[in-house]
Amino acid sequence: MNDNSKRTGNLISIQDSLVKARFFGEVIMGETAEVSVDGKILQAEVLQIDTDPKNKEAGIVEMQVFEDLTGAQIGDSVEFKGQPLSVLLGPGLLTSIWDGLQNPLYKLSEQGAYLAPGMKAPALDEEQLWEFTPLAKEGDEVSGGDAIGVVPEGRMEHKILVPFSLGKCRVESIVDKKELNITQEVAVVLDAHNNRHTLKLAFRHAVKSPIPFKERAIPSQPISTGVRVIDLLAPVGYGGTVGNPGPFGAGKTVLQHSLCKYALADIIIMAACGERAGEAVEVFKDFAELEDPATGESLMNRMCIFGNTSSMPVAAREASVFIALTVGEYYRYQGYNVILLADSTSRWAQALRERSGRQGDIPGPEAFPMDIPDQIKGMYQRAGADHATGGSLTFIGTVSPAGGNFQEPVTQATMDATGGFWGLSQDRADAKKYPAIDPLVYTNSVYDSFISWKDRNKMLHSLLEANDIDQTISTIGLKKVPVEKYVSYQKGQTIDFCVMQQDAFHEMDACTRPERLKVINDAVQQLISSPIEFSQEGMEDDELKELIKTKFDELRQWWRDWNSTAQGGELINELPAKVEQFIKQEEA
Amino acid sequence: MIRKEINKISEVGKALISVEGNPGVALNHVVELLEANTNQSLSFAKAINITEDSTRFQVFNGTQGLSTQTKIRMHELPLSAGFSYNMLGRSFDGVGNVADNGPEIIFEKEVSTRLDTLNPTVRLVPKQPLWTGIPMIDVFNTLVKSQKIPIFASPTEPYNRLLSQIAQGAQADVIIFAGIGLKFDEYQYFKEQLANSGNIDKTIMFTHLAGDSQIKGLMLPDVALGVAREFADQGKDVLVLLTDMTNWSNILRNVANYQDQIPSLQGYPGSLYSELAKRYEVAADIEGAGSITIIGATTLESLEDPVPDNTGYITEGQFFLEGGKLKLARSLSRLKQQVNGKTREDHRPIMTAMASLLADAEKAYEAAEVGAANDAFSQKLLRYREDFISNMEEPFGDSIELEDALDKCWNILKKHFEPTETGLSKKLIEDYWNKK
Repeated sequence: MNDNSKRTGNLISIQDSLVKARFFGEVIMGETAEVSVDGKILQAEVLQIDTDPKNKEAGIVEMQVFEDLTGAQIGDSVEFKGQPLSVLLGPGLLTSIWDGLQNPLYKLSEQGAYLAPGMKAPALDEEQLWEFTPLAKEGDEVSGGDAIGVVPEGRMEHKILVPFSLGKCRVESIVDKKELNITQEVAVVLDAHNNRHTLKLAFRHAVKSPIPFKERAIPSQPISTGVRVIDLLAPVGYGGTVGNPGPFGAGKTVLQHSLCKYALADIIIMAACGERAGEAVEVFKDFAELEDPATGESLMNRMCIFGNTSSMPVAAREASVFIALTVGEYYRYQGYNVILLADSTSRWAQALRERSGRQGDIPGPEAFPMDIPDQIKGMYQRAGADHATGGSLTFIGTVSPAGGNFQEPVTQATMDATGGFWGLSQDRADAKKYPAIDPLVYTNSVYDSFISWKDRNKMLHSLLEANDIDQTISTIGLKKVPVEKYVSYQKGQTIDFCVMQQDAFHEMDACTRPERLKVINDAVQQLISSPIEFSQEGMEDDELKELIKTKFDELRQWWRDWNSTAQGGELINELPAKVEQFIKQEEA
Repeated sequence: MIRKEINKISEVGKALISVEGNPGVALNHVVELLEANTNQSLSFAKAINITEDSTRFQVFNGTQGLSTQTKIRMHELPLSAGFSYNMLGRSFDGVGNVADNGPEIIFEKEVSTRLDTLNPTVRLVPKQPLWTGIPMIDVFNTLVKSQKIPIFASPTEPYNRLLSQIAQGAQADVIIFAGIGLKFDEYQYFKEQLANSGNIDKTIMFTHLAGDSQIKGLMLPDVALGVAREFADQGKDVLVLLTDMTNWSNILRNVANYQDQIPSLQGYPGSLYSELAKRYEVAADIEGAGSITIIGATTLESLEDPVPDNTGYITEGQFFLEGGKLKLARSLSRLKQQVNGKTREDHRPIMTAMASLLADAEKAYEAAEVGAANDAFSQKLLRYREDFISNMEEPFGDSIELEDALDKCWNILKKHFEPTETGLSKKLIEDYWNKK
């Protein structure tokens, strides 16, 4: 806005987080506004603009306010800011912990233990100095997204970009190599209309306009997540999208925490959206003491966290996911592999539902807004790999379906929107099988795995067969199942028990890397494809089945021990040897 | 101080009233309703929806007896709760008025009931176990200080008995009892149990009985939790008993309905999740201060009902009570791994092994119903299942120390299985199978 005069309005209606204000002049759809309540400034966003039936000169604007409105009165003033909701991008993003509107939580805690409405702090540290090295020089032509310099951020190189909102510009001046904070001037550029823009280390970007790709590509490299069932059967590639639904108690949180700890990536962004505060706290307090599997540094050095937890204002939930996405895109543009964990997208959808309900929109299925599937798809579409920068943004969203029912609108739309799907099953969770990802139901992926498609299908087939035989045993009894079927059943059970299941809290078993996966896969494939001769002369089928079970029990116990102890080449290679020995039924 | 008074009530409905125009009241602020002629105080009410044309209030004492002549006196403050150490041992209603026959209380201070979110950075990661002497909790789903966890049970189960048993053994400085929609005998039962266990002097009871004004029930958790938070801020370890949050949710549903809100599932407002979360999230272990642990009760017909379903996503697990037994399969303490790795080395593995065998046993049990569990191992599983239910899932009885409970687990396994059938590691088998 070139107009320097303030644009203002006054409240005429207040209900929960939704307010209406009367204004004269102009209001822009989607712009932010500040509402003054009781001496506090509260953040708001314009949702709708209408005519005023009482006053032809005026208009009525409907807004959602991101903070608690207790104390608000009719007539309270509103100031429109001209800018849409945006996020501050620059060095210092990593290791930060914010609320859903990018207020840093540690800074806010200096103002009191509780988050009161109106509390604010600068999104990024304004004191910290960064060693700036210019890449551009006076007279260079640059445009939005070009790097004019770099600063080191931890062990990473953080490029200082021309804001994406700028078109072609010419560099008028740029500082030499020196230490700067994010409030200081780095360069001045002149745009095509002869407008001067001062560039700093950080700039704001609107969260609802995606940062572009340089050259979008299909995700091709699988991510080593350390979780065997994922890396073998339902992998995700760098730049991919995954929906992870599960009823409560099925292990979504443990899985998210596992990914935080073990997934190989440059950066992990956590959007704790409407979930328990304690879970985010565990991440930034306890995980900080853990090592990044790639660098050996503190795990927090590769993370940033947006914590709009379940008791924080609902209206800010929607914002938190978009803010996190934009930060992810920013680092992707810089050439880094970023994983965004959004927990949970259902809470985000519920925030939209609460809002549309208050606005009086005609509800769609389960009272969600009618366009919720499109909004979900649009959100996942912002993930992707960038061939030109070498960076990627992987989006893994948990879904919390009401009643654990995967037919509900958010789960269905997510299934439609993502390339991978990790369905957690209540039955497996009840049996305390972790992870409760059910390889046979609602679990799939379009991405390449660490093993061949053929091996993947064989493994799935073996599990499926074992599952079918299990059903048969439950309905007609073990007696009537042929011996060779029983052996197939035990094989599948062994794969399930020793490979698909994993102890998330065991130092070694919690994470399996590709080298080890390969050894496991070889052993599994051998076990699946080799016939095993157990029969002994004169033995009844019943007795033989008991013998088979005992043998497999022994193998499983051995394998489980191997999972949690075998480290180093020699010990690792004991698995194929053991399996081979088992297949031949030789005595050890 | 002279407070502004108006009498422009235009609508009186169930639990809500509306006033024409804008009397200058602020959102969530409290007004007092007065009898027009005598100025006798009838009730307080809270402003929930304000426009320039009308203002809507929730009336704490219900709307019976109000008329368009009733006067409204502005208080220009949001609802607060009185706080004092003299509240210990006493009973209050949902908005903090004395509800026993004792003397009025002079409060030391007024505390906010807005329940602002605790800054997550001030939270400690919970690490201290709360032992209950109930093996199904201590071994399989260890309770942790500052946890928020409800008991899920159908309305006919002895959930209040379990709640009170857990409370009796609780290592807490202050117990806050928050009862919503209680039957009188339930209230009396708690009072007697707390008295018998010698805990009554550290207990404050906030009680809303079935049939009392709905708005008072709706406000009750905020008042009780506001007081609990003040104790925690002063360094106390507080245990809050919330029963029954399904009653509370049903009041929320009624009031949303009076307000013509668009329902989402089964008539509950779309905000049910956020509303429940706002209360349960008060549980916290606060850096440099005390802690709040919340144990709730949620009655249900089915786990898929919106109230237990939303609660399950909010709380840190749940205890599932069925047929008088604490069921392993659907119970969960999400914080247990914070503490059960620092007890005895066999704690975690035996918990996992027994759970996995029980799941197999449940399958065998189903198979047995159609006569398909005729093999030897299925028979073992069936005997194990029976033993497990009667010995491990029984919540009522003598208190058992953790070590004894773990030994009991080994004994049950030994009685029914061969070592390799348990899936336990060789080392643990060597160390524990033949011990004693």
